[in-house]
Amino acid sequence: MADESIHKDAPAGNVALGAVVALAGWAVPGLGHLILRKWSKAAFYFLCVGGLACVGLLMRGGVFAPGSEDLFDRLGFFADIGTGAFYFLARMIQTAGPDVAHATGDYGTRMFAAAGMINLLTVLEAYEIGRGRRT
Amino acid sequence: MSSLFGNFTHFDALVFFAITVSVTFAFLSKRGALERLKYVAWAFLAFLLVAVGIGWLMLPFSR
Repeated sequence: MADESIHKDAPAGNVALGAVVALAGWAVPGLGHLILRKWSKAAFYFLCVGGLACVGLLMRGGVFAPGSEDLFDRLGFFADIGTGAFYFLARMIQTAGPDVAHATGDYGTRMFAAAGMINLLTVLEAYEIGRGRRT
Repeated sequence: MSSLFGNFTHFDALVFFAITVSVTFAFLSKRGALERLKYVAWAFLAFLLVAVGIGWLMLPFSR
């Protein structure tokens, strides 16, 4: 009975809105929260994910390409693609190309992958808010 | 810009990573400005302490 009252108070779920904000949040970090009018979250997610991704690229980190045979490269691609637009703009941001022979470039690779992973977490949160399961 | 970030030391990279990830986690897991601020400070310090601690633990194996 207690559970019933909790569900009654929760806002109505909307799968379509959840899917739209999740897709928007993946494409441009923070955009999903912007659509949901979560202004501060949108701004901070864009700055943090975008900052990590751009700094990772400017440190000349590597970006994993799709279709690799190696399992770790596939995992790296999965992490990198989480940055959405930043993955597709990587070549424009990183004009000098990757340099993973040096430690700085290697850290850049990890930073870019970390940006993708934390953006996926923000996408999940946007989906949950869109569904009405979270405020 | 590339030369600026290309000259990052290990510690610079650690500090930048720690602050961005701490802020994101704070917004994901906490409500209210004060709660978030406390979480950012705690997570940021934890990142630094754990990284420096692991660095010290690995020191004997680097020689």
